[in-house]
Amino acid sequence: MNDTPASDAAVSAVEATAQTFDRGDVGWIAVAVVTGTLGLWLLLPPSGAKRRLSGMVLMIAALAVLGAARLIPVGDWGYDAMYAVLSGLTVVAAVSTVTFRNPVYCAIWFALTLLGIAGLFLIDGAQFLGVAIVVVYAGAILVMFLFVLMLANPSGRAAYDRLSWEPWIAAPVGVLLVAIVTLTYHQAFDTGDTAPLPSASTEALADGVLANQHVARLGNQLFGRYLVDVEVAGVLLLVALVAASAIVAAAPGEPNNSKRAARGERP
Amino acid sequence: MLLEALIKIAILIGGLMTAAAYLVLVERWMAAWIQGRIGPNRVGVPLTRIRLFGLGQPIADGLKFILKEEYVPAHVDKWLYYLAPMAILTAALAAFAVIPFGSVLPPDVSFPGGEEPIQLVVAPGIDVGMLYVFALSSMAIYGVTLGGWASNNKYSFLGGLRSSAQLIAYEIPLGLGILGVVLMTGSLRLEEIIGAQAQSGLWFAFSQPLGLLVFSVAACAEAGRLPFDLPEAEQELVGGYHTEYAGMKLMMYLVGEFLHMITAAFLIVILFFGGWHLWGVTGSSNDVNWFQAIARILVLVTKILLVVLLFMLVRWSWPRFRFDQLMALAWKVMLPLGLVHLFTMAVLSEYAERWAGGAAPWVIVGVGWLVAVAACLVAGTLTAVSTGNQAIRE
Repeated sequence: MNDTPASDAAVSAVEATAQTFDRGDVGWIAVAVVTGTLGLWLLLPPSGAKRRLSGMVLMIAALAVLGAARLIPVGDWGYDAMYAVLSGLTVVAAVSTVTFRNPVYCAIWFALTLLGIAGLFLIDGAQFLGVAIVVVYAGAILVMFLFVLMLANPSGRAAYDRLSWEPWIAAPVGVLLVAIVTLTYHQAFDTGDTAPLPSASTEALADGVLANQHVARLGNQLFGRYLVDVEVAGVLLLVALVAASAIVAAAPGEPNNSKRAARGERP
Repeated sequence: MLLEALIKIAILIGGLMTAAAYLVLVERWMAAWIQGRIGPNRVGVPLTRIRLFGLGQPIADGLKFILKEEYVPAHVDKWLYYLAPMAILTAALAAFAVIPFGSVLPPDVSFPGGEEPIQLVVAPGIDVGMLYVFALSSMAIYGVTLGGWASNNKYSFLGGLRSSAQLIAYEIPLGLGILGVVLMTGSLRLEEIIGAQAQSGLWFAFSQPLGLLVFSVAACAEAGRLPFDLPEAEQELVGGYHTEYAGMKLMMYLVGEFLHMITAAFLIVILFFGGWHLWGVTGSSNDVNWFQAIARILVLVTKILLVVLLFMLVRWSWPRFRFDQLMALAWKVMLPLGLVHLFTMAVLSEYAERWAGGAAPWVIVGVGWLVAVAACLVAGTLTAVSTGNQAIRE
């Protein structure tokens, strides 16, 4: 919704991160990243109860360090409390999504992650995004996943559920990503010696996502300025749909089950 | 602000729970009437012979549910088994946050620091109200699927799968039925949708009969009421996803389902029958006196009760569909009808003013009915839903 091109935003985000590193937070961030990586690695699947417990302790410590170093209260206690609860819930649910062994539980934790994200959108006034993420992801896509997972080997005893692939790459990259995003986000609210990011001026917000009629404005943007993008996305979905139907219709060597049942054969 | 919201929530949840309990009694009376029985008429004041037409029955039912043994089978997946009924009830109740249960109160009363005048909706000013209700109704699928899976019982699991397939299939016509109304009002706020109908005096039921049809059928299927109660099908299929549940957890499922029906009734009334509006009685602006404010609440509640009674009448009059008929109805009949409706309304909302000027409302009503009748006739002749009782051969 902002007028800044994406590349400018990316450049300023990198600059903001660099400035923060200059200001001596690097030690805390490094501590958080190392602790978090270790914790996440301990939590990842091939783990017993002891490893999981120590991993949990380390993860909590890492989140606490990151939070204490970077969380800046906005001042409205209701907002701050909601923000802390929702972001904590989101991160815990996200970690659980990748560390639980039973795929159905993973899907449920993922649903909880999405609900947390939707809540974060809602308290920041982006109502449409918050509700759309629930309708589209939690309500439609994840339910499909859940179907497949429930019909597959359910209790997490399959070989592919019991080990995690490349935990030494996945764990640090994930933790590092959280650290960088946290830094960048709070840089925008930091009124210290750095200029605020150009994207989040109050007038722009009041005119955009926080406006009273913000769905109407969003619609105007989508079907005015971004019309081509919307149509391309629509065509892409249509192509995927047609392709899926074609694959189903022309599955080779797969006799139709209902036909076989009608002939009295066993499938 | 917080106090105001909490009071509204208390009123709403108290009202809904009581209403659900007594509507169950009404439903049993209705069933008895249709089947030529007497129905529950005995439970009155305890330890006396006063019967009160059986008005004590819901309280007795509730006590029975609470005092029943909380039996948890040994083979279930404990966490999800407990989570599922909570999810379904939470989603059903949370949907009422944006559904208005009246209009506004007169400016004589106000909360310190609150908005004036007091609006009779828990969360006023949510710009995406309609979508929010959708989001929560799509969360109800989790309660059903997880309940079936966590029970670790093949009947329950198949019931959960059947039910989820049905809920997902009918969500699409549900959305298409609403879009016509949203196009005509240009807003997703339920308050504004009522306001638009009150201003024009023309309820959308008159101008969009096809939308009403598609939406009502889909809402009935989403609520799992009888022509569409494949998820449970007590007689043939054991009871579906809540076979393994007992006591309070079963009650949470049943109340959740009943609340879905009440939500559906609210939405039908608000979207298509003018919400609190009644010609000549309630007025149409937000400046109300006490008579109008109370009349609006009563009108809304009466309309909702009528729709609920219709749902019950349907439940006890029609047999249930077979599963392939159910799916065929969703994908081959309701979805095309919904698309035709959406297309018609899109064209009308764009061109009716331009072509007809002041007569635009009449043009919309005329074209709306014409298209509705034509589309239903075409759908009736084209779709050969198999009604025989043989296995399907392709």
